[in-house]
Order: sequence, then C-alpha cells, then structure tokens
Amino acid sequence: MIRSLSDISRLALEKGPKKLAVLAPEDEEFMLAVKRSWEKGCIEPVLIGDRDKMARVAETVGFDISRFEQIVEHDRQTVSDLGIGMLFSGDVSVVSKGQITTSYVYRSIIRAEAKAASGMTVTVVSIWEVPGVDHLVGFTDSGVNIRPDFKTKVEILRNAVFLCHLLGYETPGIAVLSGRRTFGEDLPSYADYELLRRMAGSGCLGDCEILEATSIAEIFLGAGGRLKESFDGIDLSKTPHIFLAPCLDTANILAKLDLAMDIKRCSISVTSRGAVCIPARSDLSSAIEDQIEMGVVVADRIQEGVR
Amino acid sequence: MIGTFQKMIASARGGVRARLAVPLPIKQDLDLLCRVTEEGFILPVLIGDGGAMESLVKKSPLSSLEHEIVNVEDPGEALSTAITLVREGRADILMQGGIGQKPFMEEVLDAKNGLLKSKVASYASIVQFQRREKLVLVTDTFINNFPGIAEKQIILENALGLAGILGMEEPKVAVISAIEQVNPSIPSTLDAAALAKMAERGQFGKAVVDGPLDMDCALSRVAAARKNVRSVVTGNADIYLVPEIETGLPLVQALCFFGGMKTAGMMLGAKVPVIPDIPFISDEERAAELALAVLMTRKGGNHE
Repeated sequence: MIRSLSDISRLALEKGPKKLAVLAPEDEEFMLAVKRSWEKGCIEPVLIGDRDKMARVAETVGFDISRFEQIVEHDRQTVSDLGIGMLFSGDVSVVSKGQITTSYVYRSIIRAEAKAASGMTVTVVSIWEVPGVDHLVGFTDSGVNIRPDFKTKVEILRNAVFLCHLLGYETPGIAVLSGRRTFGEDLPSYADYELLRRMAGSGCLGDCEILEATSIAEIFLGAGGRLKESFDGIDLSKTPHIFLAPCLDTANILAKLDLAMDIKRCSISVTSRGAVCIPARSDLSSAIEDQIEMGVVVADRIQEGVR
Repeated sequence: MIGTFQKMIASARGGVRARLAVPLPIKQDLDLLCRVTEEGFILPVLIGDGGAMESLVKKSPLSSLEHEIVNVEDPGEALSTAITLVREGRADILMQGGIGQKPFMEEVLDAKNGLLKSKVASYASIVQFQRREKLVLVTDTFINNFPGIAEKQIILENALGLAGILGMEEPKVAVISAIEQVNPSIPSTLDAAALAKMAERGQFGKAVVDGPLDMDCALSRVAAARKNVRSVVTGNADIYLVPEIETGLPLVQALCFFGGMKTAGMMLGAKVPVIPDIPFISDEERAAELALAVLMTRKGGNHE
C-alpha cells in the first residue's frame, strides 16, 4: 500500500522510465521538473509546445532537450489535443500539463473519452500528504465539474475509488462533505450524502466505505462532540482517504490549502487510457516532480491491470 | 492592529465592562464566565430558573465574583428573555449558553422578534494563521447557504466592520473561487469580479478587494506571480470572502484540524455582538470571542 509521496517516488524509480507527453513545458519550473524526473529515470519525455520558449527555458535550467522527441505547436488547444491523443493511442503512458491553462487539457480529455466511447466522466483528484496521517488524502472533483448533480457525483466517486484501489487502498474511507448545520434549509449536498451512503451500503459503489459524517469537525469530534483543549490532541488517523466535495469551488479551494500548511499536494486525472498529471501553473518544480512521479506510478498500475 | 487572540483579550482589559446575556448557562459556560469576569471585561447576566442558577453558581468560583441572575421560571423563555434584555439595552452581548444551536440561531435570526439589524446576518471566522502573527477573517462560514451578490456585498461590509475593530485600517480582501479568471460558467468568479469592481469605485471605503482569486493566488504572492496575477492582496489578505457555506465551513475546519490553527468567530449584522457555540472553538478562543465582542460594544461597531 502506498502511504506517502516518498513511497510514490521510490516506486516511480522502480517502474520508470515511462513515456511522458509534456504539454507546453515553457516555463523554468516545469522544464526543471522534467529534467530532474528524466535524470532520475522516471520518464522519457515528449515535449509539445513552442520551440523557442522550450529551448530558452531548457537552456536556462541546463537541460539538453535535443535528444528528445519534440512536437512544435503554438496553439494551446492543439498542444493539449496532441498530448492527450498520444495517451489515448498508446504512444505515451502519461501526460503532464505544463504552463498551460487547465481548461484546454480537460477539453481534450473530454473529447477523447467521448471519441473512445468510454463512458468515463472526467474528474480530478487533488492528493495531500499530511503529517501524522498514514495514507494519502484526496479531494475531488477539484478540476472539472462545477456543480455536479447526484449522477455526476457517483461517477466522481467511482473514479476516486478506482484511484484509491490503484494506490492499494482496498476499502477506502470516503467523507461526503456538506455545509449542513443544525439550522436553516436542508442542503442538496446532504441529500446526496444520504443517497451515496445507502448506495455504498448496498455495494453499488464498489469496495469503499462512506463515513457517517459530513464535516471535518464531525469526523474528528464525532456528532455533537466538542474540542477539548487544542487541535494538538486530535487523532488524525480518522482522516478519510477521499473527501467528496459538493462543488468545484470547495474541492479546489481546500486542495490548495497546502500553501498555508505543512502539507504536500499533487493532482491527477485518471482517464480510461492512463494518467494525466495536473500540476497548478503556480506549482514549483519539486511539486511538479511529485506529480509526475504519481503519474508514472498510476500509469504503471493501470497497465498492470490491463495486462 | 490586533494580531493574536491573546492581544484581543489584553485589549479588552481595563475598560468598561460589557453585560453578557447567557440563557441557561451550563457548567462549561461558567468556567469561561469566571475567566472573563476575572479579566474584568464582562459582567455575566445568567438567565434561567433562579434556584437552578443559584445552585449552579454556588458550585463555581463565579459565586465570589460579580454577576447577575435573571429569574425565568420557564426554561423555554430563557432565550427570548435574553433577547429582550439585549433589545432593551439591558445587556450588550448575547451568548448561546445552554440553548441548542438550532433554536438559538432560529430565534436570533427571526426577522420579527430576533436581533437582525439588516436583512443579512453573517458569521466571520477569525483564524490565527500559522507562522505569522496575524488574524485573518473568513466569511461567511456559518449562516448563509448560497449568498448571491447582494448578500455577499453585505457579508463583506459586515466583515469590514469587524476588521475595523481589529485595527485593520485598509483591509485587503481576497474574494476566492476555484480559478483566478472570470469564467461565466463559474458563478463565484462573476460575483468576485463584481465585488472587486465595486471596491474599485470606492463602495467599500478604504478596503482593497480583489477577485476572483484561487486559493494559491490568495495565499502566496509567488504563486500568484507565476500566474501573472499581481495585486497587493495576494499572499497578504486580511479577509477571505468565500463563495458559499459549502466552501466556508470546511475551509475553516481544514485550517483548524489539519493546520492546527486556532479559530474564533462572531455573528455580525445583528443589533449586538452574538456568539453562537461552535464545537471546534476551544475555551481559550471563546474568551477571545468575548473580548472581541466587548471591543465591538465599546466602539459601537456592528450594532446600534
């Protein structure tokens, strides 16, 4: 079972190199992450983007990219379509977003899934490594579905459970978040929680468990519980494997709290054909490396399953 | 500027005491009341059955400190009596006491008989961020489910009033969303852009409001620069305005439970400071809440 990003890093070295298409590595942080991942033996990059920009940043970070396949393309959507197309045709095992707006990538994946008639809903899981928690923690959907209805939440959850299984969590614990309090109108997110819990209980969501709590406070303090003195004594082992957020704003905003805390984050979209790493455009090279390594490991495990 | 909860308590010491209405107090409330009474900024007014109140107080150090008991034989009337005391100016602050959260909030928010000053009450969480001596407001984290732009405008005004009490003269406000660009498909980005424009036109006084900002841009100037977002708000926001309750509530809880950050909070937009009982606020921070309420009372902020 994978418990940390260090585990991921170790496995990526064992399982690499994987062929990785990088969408617009036109920024020093992204190029540096590609360089280091290649030097470690995790990836064999295919670089797609603006030739001059890629050459300039490669020179800045001291990376000879002449030995790698390069596809020159300026149009952002085409850059993305090319990389995702390579994933779906089996030419690469992993794709990583570079310094490109994420919406292009999601659009490419949605189109590719539709063309492949996979029936798969495109979603993103942002994963945290939290000190004191002995497993990785995911927030979903942090990227695509703005205000998912119940049916979409089921798909988001199934994708997250699939990712958890790939990471070795046999029966992941899931918290379906809701802003419900004891007063005021009922929230649709709470009704969704009740339905999802029932579905999980009857086995319709696969091997997973939905926690009897819809807020972070409830998870750690119990229903009606109170904080004793400080957060130091909180038992973080109760942290679920997945937080299913009610909407995109919630998942995305929570996921990026790594910048305020001693937490590491990486984001990934598991498609029907492989892994797509979704670093934020603001991420620094070390965080991008973590995400590439996650992509390598997830891709390897998908391939194992396919075999 | 008040940058820590301890400073909040220190600021409240030494001035005029505020009368705190507490309906049906429980033992845990008494421990807190002892502390703030000893600190010298609160005069507790306990509301409930006189005999039961006397008996409760006798078992507590509060018995030797100044306090008042308002006898209400029917416990069901304790909250409405507390609200009446506040409305009549015989109490300055209202605390939840032993009333359940649902009846407390419903009665306080009741349009006719409650304590609303305007159409929109809101709740601001005050978070002491790690690694720096700074308090940050996050709102609305408790009351409004899905506020529209009109409600968000008032929620922001409420928070700015509180920021003023904390000594933030030109508060920097991050209106947060999933992304930092305006996207008509994501309603929170439109609201954020409209609020930022309102601020630009001076509708929020000296406050600098920027949005939409995603959380990485709001939290880190470096991250924002990598996305070509340049603003005095990035990495240095005093107030985070969230899109809706589904975001606000878990956001504060994540900062507390995973980040170990301390939090307090206050209901705003009422005739007086109102303090609901939030289960993940420790007694230490509840004392700070009362200190802040006292400062609000003294400055006449956020209430009539």
